[in-house]
Amino acid sequence: MSEGFKTTVNPATPGDGALRDAGASNARLVLRLFKMGWSYRMPAVGVIGLQFVLLALALSGLGLTGLGIDVIRKGLDPKVADPVFPFGVAPPGHWSAMQTVWVVAGAVLGIAAVRFFLDKTSRVAKAILVLRIIVDLRARVYNKMQRLSFSFFDANASGSIINRVTSDVQAVRMFVDGVLIEVLMLVISLFFFVGYMLSIHVWLTVWCLATTPLLWLLTWRFSRVVRPAYRTNRELFDTAVLRLSENVQGVHVVKGFSRQPEEIEKFRLANSAVRDQKRWIFWRVSTFVPLIGFLPQINLVVLMVYGGNLFMSDPGFRIGSGFFVFAGLLQQFSTQVGSIAVIANSVQQSLTGAQRVFEVLDAPAHVESPPNALPLPRARGEVCLECVTFGYQTGDPAVSGVNIQAKPGQTVAVLGATGAGKSTLLSLIPRFYDPQQGRVLIDGKDVRGYDLDDLRRNIGLVFQESFLFSNTVAANIAFGHPEATREQIERAAHIASAHGFIMELEHGYDTVLGEGGSNLSGGQRQRLAIARAVLLEPAILLLDDPTAAIDPQTEQEILDAMNSAMSGRTTFVVAHRLSTLRRADKVIVLEQGRVVQTGTHDELMDAHGHYRHAANLQTADHESKRLLGIHTDGQGGGA
Amino acid sequence: MNQATTPKTLTHVVRGDREADKRPLDMALVRRVLGLTRPHRRTRGWLFLMVAIRAIQMPAMGWVMAAAINGPITRGDSAGTLRVAVWFAILAASTAAVFHVRMRLGLELGEAVVYELRSRIFEHLQRMPMRFYNQTKLGRIISRMTSDAEAIRAGVQDVLFVSLVQGGQMLFAAAVMLYYDWVLFLVVLAMAPVLLLISNYFRHRLSQAWRNIQESFSRVTATLAESVTGIRVTQGFVREDVNAEMFHDLVADHAGYNLRADKLVGVFLPLIELNNQLFIAVLLVLGGYKVLVGLPIGGGSAQEQFAAMWVFFFMVPSFFGPLTMIGRMYNMALTAMAGAERVFALLDSEPEQLDDADAVDPPQIRGRVEFNDVGFEYVKDTPVLHGVSFVAEPGQTVALVGHTGSGKSTITSLIAKFYLPTRGRLLIDGTDIRKIRGRGLTRQIGIVLQQNFLFTGSVMDNIRIGHGGATDEDVYAAARKLDCLDLFESLPQGLHTQVGERGGNLSLGQRQLVCFTRAMLADPRILILDEATSSVDTMTEARIQKALAKLLRGRTSFVVAHRLSTVRHADLVLVLDQGQIIERGTHNELLAHGGSYANLYRQFIHASEA
Repeated sequence: MSEGFKTTVNPATPGDGALRDAGASNARLVLRLFKMGWSYRMPAVGVIGLQFVLLALALSGLGLTGLGIDVIRKGLDPKVADPVFPFGVAPPGHWSAMQTVWVVAGAVLGIAAVRFFLDKTSRVAKAILVLRIIVDLRARVYNKMQRLSFSFFDANASGSIINRVTSDVQAVRMFVDGVLIEVLMLVISLFFFVGYMLSIHVWLTVWCLATTPLLWLLTWRFSRVVRPAYRTNRELFDTAVLRLSENVQGVHVVKGFSRQPEEIEKFRLANSAVRDQKRWIFWRVSTFVPLIGFLPQINLVVLMVYGGNLFMSDPGFRIGSGFFVFAGLLQQFSTQVGSIAVIANSVQQSLTGAQRVFEVLDAPAHVESPPNALPLPRARGEVCLECVTFGYQTGDPAVSGVNIQAKPGQTVAVLGATGAGKSTLLSLIPRFYDPQQGRVLIDGKDVRGYDLDDLRRNIGLVFQESFLFSNTVAANIAFGHPEATREQIERAAHIASAHGFIMELEHGYDTVLGEGGSNLSGGQRQRLAIARAVLLEPAILLLDDPTAAIDPQTEQEILDAMNSAMSGRTTFVVAHRLSTLRRADKVIVLEQGRVVQTGTHDELMDAHGHYRHAANLQTADHESKRLLGIHTDGQGGGA
Repeated sequence: MNQATTPKTLTHVVRGDREADKRPLDMALVRRVLGLTRPHRRTRGWLFLMVAIRAIQMPAMGWVMAAAINGPITRGDSAGTLRVAVWFAILAASTAAVFHVRMRLGLELGEAVVYELRSRIFEHLQRMPMRFYNQTKLGRIISRMTSDAEAIRAGVQDVLFVSLVQGGQMLFAAAVMLYYDWVLFLVVLAMAPVLLLISNYFRHRLSQAWRNIQESFSRVTATLAESVTGIRVTQGFVREDVNAEMFHDLVADHAGYNLRADKLVGVFLPLIELNNQLFIAVLLVLGGYKVLVGLPIGGGSAQEQFAAMWVFFFMVPSFFGPLTMIGRMYNMALTAMAGAERVFALLDSEPEQLDDADAVDPPQIRGRVEFNDVGFEYVKDTPVLHGVSFVAEPGQTVALVGHTGSGKSTITSLIAKFYLPTRGRLLIDGTDIRKIRGRGLTRQIGIVLQQNFLFTGSVMDNIRIGHGGATDEDVYAAARKLDCLDLFESLPQGLHTQVGERGGNLSLGQRQLVCFTRAMLADPRILILDEATSSVDTMTEARIQKALAKLLRGRTSFVVAHRLSTVRHADLVLVLDQGQIIERGTHNELLAHGGSYANLYRQFIHASEA
């Protein structure tokens, strides 16, 4: 029933990897893990050495106890054979039996004290080794993950990525401390145990260990049968929890449509599935565990009968160094045999984990600086898309055959329905993705030729829903340039009309934002995002519909911020608001990844098409304008 | 210059938001937890029997072993040894058999209790009012069903029975030792408190260390989660190196906490072993002294003394083992207490009665909605609505306009009977809403919200939520009526496409269409659209607008909208400010009036045209 001590938190269950390379054979994986383990060989050898000494000490402690019993027995009954002293170091003849017992007991205690210190040292050394591996590996995986292209993040759920850095890394280090070290220790200790037993009596050893193969088989079967069943149960339980969390998150729907009886029924099914499968597991567990505990008792029965008879017939088989020591060895031996199942599990787990960790480490970054990258200290801001086509892994291209030219300082507005490819188009400029056909040029040169960091530093970004980190306002604005001075931060905030509300926050620029900036309104978040984007004075600004999730009163504030941010920069802006569209030097209407209309607002209003249709939705009708006393000049629009 | 004020972390995890993980024992609570096992009385009875048998069996094996050595083996009685061995084998086999039954029944009892608790929690949640959901975090609700229920499971399945087995075992071992040699037993007894103190000290320190580990680990995962979600920002702003360094520090910090716990364990476990060895040494010396020299107290022949020493060698593990085990059980009991307290608090919370005792299921309603001086407060003494009065005649469209927090959504929630007005009366077809049974009313009300929630399942399943008994044909008909069947059919598997968790496989616009179709299928008399088109872009909105017009036709509708383009055709526009209606009339009337609505509208046009 005891669980042992867990020293590291390992809460997450491995999610399913979207990228699973079935081709990676286990042998290659093991080889690679060996190579990884090899770089930690020195501390590992130290740990093994310590454990080796500990084992020897434990066995001598047991032997000495047996000796002590023999000495007492001899004192009680002088007829029995003399006790055998280790290494022939017999006590001086004038010593009484009691004096010998004192010395033996003292030796037992002395050995125990040494063991205590060594055991402590060895455990801490092992912990340090394990933690070193974890820190190294986590930092490596995280660092690599950060540099992967967005395709990786599109293909893998965030839970799965997080697991790779947390629990999968744990599984990988398990290969070193749970497999390599354990296997070595197991081989050494079994060798010692059996050697010691054989030295006491060969046939007794053979008979007492007769049940070992059975024990082995049972523990192995047990982990084979029960572990997958528990995994299934966890999945069933996850389903039940999902039912609950959906029920709570969708409580408006549940209540709004009076779905409570159906929901209860849905949950009951999920809940019963968990219970019924558990019952199956319980039967197996409660059969295997007592059985596995029973087998070593059989060994004791054998020892009792065979060993008892040996004691009666063979004076060399003493009660302490023979019988008692043997009983002790048998007990520890069966514990060791049981650990084989644990090791087998660790192998399985570490291989699965390793696969998922190596997937990240091996994943090609896709987007990288070329070998002889051109530096781009300060771009002029001329952006040109030439016949650009790009598609995600599956399905039709998201953007196809797009041609756009923007001169330095110009504003290009992009309009289109959900899924028309607007955001994708913008992501191609800072090389979040590379187009499959065509080129993106900045200042007349292909972006793939520039140093990637330089390129991105020249581009300011504001997204639809801006992600803010749970850190201070200042740190969020200075995100792209942590060394920025407070003056620079404030200047950026002024440009984004954010200074005013920041000063009203409790701690001004040092106010800590909640997770995802939850203590700010949508408009405030977006203005911080704009400040963040303009801090580096980028030549190019990409605004991906920053007002999408904002109500009209706040929208105006953001529009002002956008306008001052845009001045003097080449800007690509995804927008639906007429005010923005009208100000653009060029408007591009996208439909299913293709440019269907290009021109200025006025040109597009004259043409029949999507643009005019969408624009008219936002213009006040004549009647409303008349009532408001706004002068109308016939066409929809114009103030 | 001022850079020092910027904390050197990627994220800033707020602490102090943890629930207590332990609670002192409380008899009333203990009784209630044990009461959960009452429906399984028979199982419980059998368990007690098994526990009693096991408490004797385990030390009995050590005793038989010692008896074999002292008796037939020492005597040289080969046949006698075989007889004792057979008895030992029988005892061992029966122990295994009893263990099987005890283990299985214990596990089944625990599972039965947890199953029951989960069902009760879920059913109780279904009766909880909307107020509860506003005040309770999802994570908290889930942990009632997961970690808290698990803690209770451990309580009923292990704590009681394991403690009884272990305690019984201790008593039996003590009795045997006392019988053989009371002097030696006193020595054993004297060592017990030492062991108890050591294990308590370390357990306490360790649980603190583990809490630190968990906290630092949650910092690691929180940072990771932010890094993954914010990857676009990180790459776009070339922050990879800074982040990597911070993350390394964070992981190293976590490792430091782990090392501290490892060091504690590294002292604790070897210390327990040292204690065992100390006992062996003491037993050798004392036993040797009694056998070889003789003590003035605790008489008996040298032969008997030697036999007693054997008994002690085999019995002492049965005496010391339970000490640490019972300590662990005690801790589990405290955890179970904390879990039980929270679970029972949830189950005991009386759902607010929204229906009067004499409430009736309404017949087909016509859809006249009347607010009569209605006031409402979510939190006591902070009203969000004051004296709201208006009438919506059957089939009319009422638009609610106002700033965020002006009370628009509160009005729609009251109509859906998610809450009861705290003042005034809300009448539907002239009947007070308290007299109308909520379940029957909501069936005739359709709601589409801005956060359009979809359940895991197919598009079809999600639409059918609107009307449980609807056939596939009904669903198709509803989609056709809304003129959006072609959009659903263009999905990879048409209406059978899986929407994914929270509808993630569909775009915002597609999700919104599912919700509209769901409302259409329900064919409600009263329709509530709360910011239903806010998160949809203009091009998609154009398409949805047509569907909307069809949906609104012939129903009393309440439309909350930020984009005033949706409001133009409403029969009645209510302008709200800080919970009060400040203007009312049609679009044109309000524009002509030149008040706040006209200002809002001007702002809106300015935003889109200026």
